[in-house]
Amino acid sequence: MESKLSHYINKASSLIGHKFEKKIRVALLSSFTVNGLEEVLRVKSAEKNIECITYVGAYNQYNQEILNQESSLYKFSPDIIFLILDIRSIMGNLFYVPYSLSVQQRRDFIEKKVGELCNLVKIFTNSSKSKLVITNFNIPSYSPYGIFETKTEYGFYDMIRDLNVKLTDAFNNVDSVYLYDFNGFVSFHGEKNVFDFQQFHFGDIKVSLDYIPYLAHDLMSYIIAITGLSKKCIVLDLDNTLWGGIAGEDGFDGIKLGPTPPGNAYVELQRHLLALYQRGIILAINSKNNLEDALKIISDHPYMILREENFACLKINWDDKVSNMKEIADELNISLDSMVFLDDDPINREYMRMNLPQVLTMELSQDSSHYTALIQSMNEFNVLRITDEDTKRGQMYGQQHERKKLETSTPNLEEFLKQLKLRVSIKNADTFTIPRISQLTLKTNQFNLTTKRYQEEDIARFANDDKYLVGCAQVEDKFGDNGITGVFIVRKDTPKEWSIDTFLLSCRVMGREVEKGILGYIIKEAKKSGVEKIKGQFIPSKKNKPIENFLPNCGFRKEGKYWIYSLNSTFTVPDYLMVSAQ
Amino acid sequence: MSENLYKLIARVMNVSVSNINDGTGPESIESWTSFNGYVLLYELEQQFKVKFTLDEAIDVKTVADIKRHLKNHGVILNE
Repeated sequence: MESKLSHYINKASSLIGHKFEKKIRVALLSSFTVNGLEEVLRVKSAEKNIECITYVGAYNQYNQEILNQESSLYKFSPDIIFLILDIRSIMGNLFYVPYSLSVQQRRDFIEKKVGELCNLVKIFTNSSKSKLVITNFNIPSYSPYGIFETKTEYGFYDMIRDLNVKLTDAFNNVDSVYLYDFNGFVSFHGEKNVFDFQQFHFGDIKVSLDYIPYLAHDLMSYIIAITGLSKKCIVLDLDNTLWGGIAGEDGFDGIKLGPTPPGNAYVELQRHLLALYQRGIILAINSKNNLEDALKIISDHPYMILREENFACLKINWDDKVSNMKEIADELNISLDSMVFLDDDPINREYMRMNLPQVLTMELSQDSSHYTALIQSMNEFNVLRITDEDTKRGQMYGQQHERKKLETSTPNLEEFLKQLKLRVSIKNADTFTIPRISQLTLKTNQFNLTTKRYQEEDIARFANDDKYLVGCAQVEDKFGDNGITGVFIVRKDTPKEWSIDTFLLSCRVMGREVEKGILGYIIKEAKKSGVEKIKGQFIPSKKNKPIENFLPNCGFRKEGKYWIYSLNSTFTVPDYLMVSAQ
Repeated sequence: MSENLYKLIARVMNVSVSNINDGTGPESIESWTSFNGYVLLYELEQQFKVKFTLDEAIDVKTVADIKRHLKNHGVILNE
């Protein structure tokens, strides 16, 4: 439930003088009265420790403010602008009498409006670095054609629907422009609630006072994403959170999880968590339980949606939940303030809030059928872009967890590495791999022999030069694909001598002797070319100690400040590595 | 009841209750803008379970006007 608008208006006036961690400049332009929205945004931002500095454009002056490059809007220099428009203003008189136009005229009208809006947006984006959020338009429930509306070619509803589709298409490839689904907002809360005729007639208020805070809640999604405060991980309790009942008491067969109520509410929650996992939100467990009882349910229960591989970290023990939470953050290498905690027990929640206020502890209803709605209503998971890497993140963390499990369950390292079934594919530097090769030289610190940083253009230059051997390694194992995680750049100094300019591995695949597979490939290529020796150099940095002994361990001998490998010697690649070259 | 009314007005306008009397309105309180005036009516409707007409909403200029309209809707305010 949202607080009343007057609560926000009063609270906003008490924010002056407060210090906040983050800052954002927000401009609001609208075609109708949105008084109060600015105050709610300021208060909601303050709750996230963001100072929201606002600029509110004059009533229905959005065109002039955007077109005039000297306007106060541009002087304000926003980080984000919300352009909140409504269908009555866009359609004008035609909103009431759409059928005074022919079908073709109606189509032309929408085409013209799309053009005008796109032009306005283009002018703004050409003149400002700000992000721009423009609303789409709600389809009213009323049509003068009544039940015949849906049998009418390019009718009133079709016009608005088409306008929305065309705006979506126009902006979906423009990085700085976002289309806010205002139509979705109205349908979620109900047109009858959001639009109040008296408020409309009194002061052109087209989002009623009670719903301004809800609109602000939605717009906060953008502010949270821009300020980098999006949450990355949901940490879950198990009993009465992920399933009904208590594993230790009710047992495998007694817990409530399945197609009938109340078990279906937990299935529904799990389905939504799975969807979040698939778009890059990390899932973890923090539960007081016997590990075996809980794992049996997670692995074998026929109605569990989330399985062990979906969790990046499982803390199922009798330890303190706060310590578990800190350990999860450490293990996943994410900050506590990017974590959300879901637990049905109010005492656990209070304990978490008291000890780790930076974790967002959600207030769960006593009724499990509301859990899903709570997750859906959160605006904290929004990001400005969902990349391929995001969609694979959960999977990669899950695989990492599986690897760790195998590592602890196998008697020695060699056995573990054998069981991993490692495959190293050596790839050339080409248009597909060059960006990643450059990124790895720029980012990798630990297992990096020389820590030379190269931009994409540098790598492309090496790749086109016969005097260089440039490549990368993609590493896969039985748990999945780690992607391109190794890079080598070898300079062919003379026909008889090559030197290693760069040799690195991402920390993701360290400790699996993948480096020997890559070096084995370099040595093989050198032999083929009749090279007699390979020269290497270890350039120490603050962070590259892990690679310090790599060259001597591989048979290189020290000669002055260099390490030399003689091609007369035999180099053995560990037999558990399957190395292939492009 | 007047006390509750005054408290509500003071809260919405973000001023002290002591500033509120029958003559209070946009002239005497800076925060009493036309928008906040409407927010106030909206909150009064919910507190006193009444619904003002558009004419009444437009007519309200002072606290005395509010009292008059509340009375028309059967709300008894103990003075």
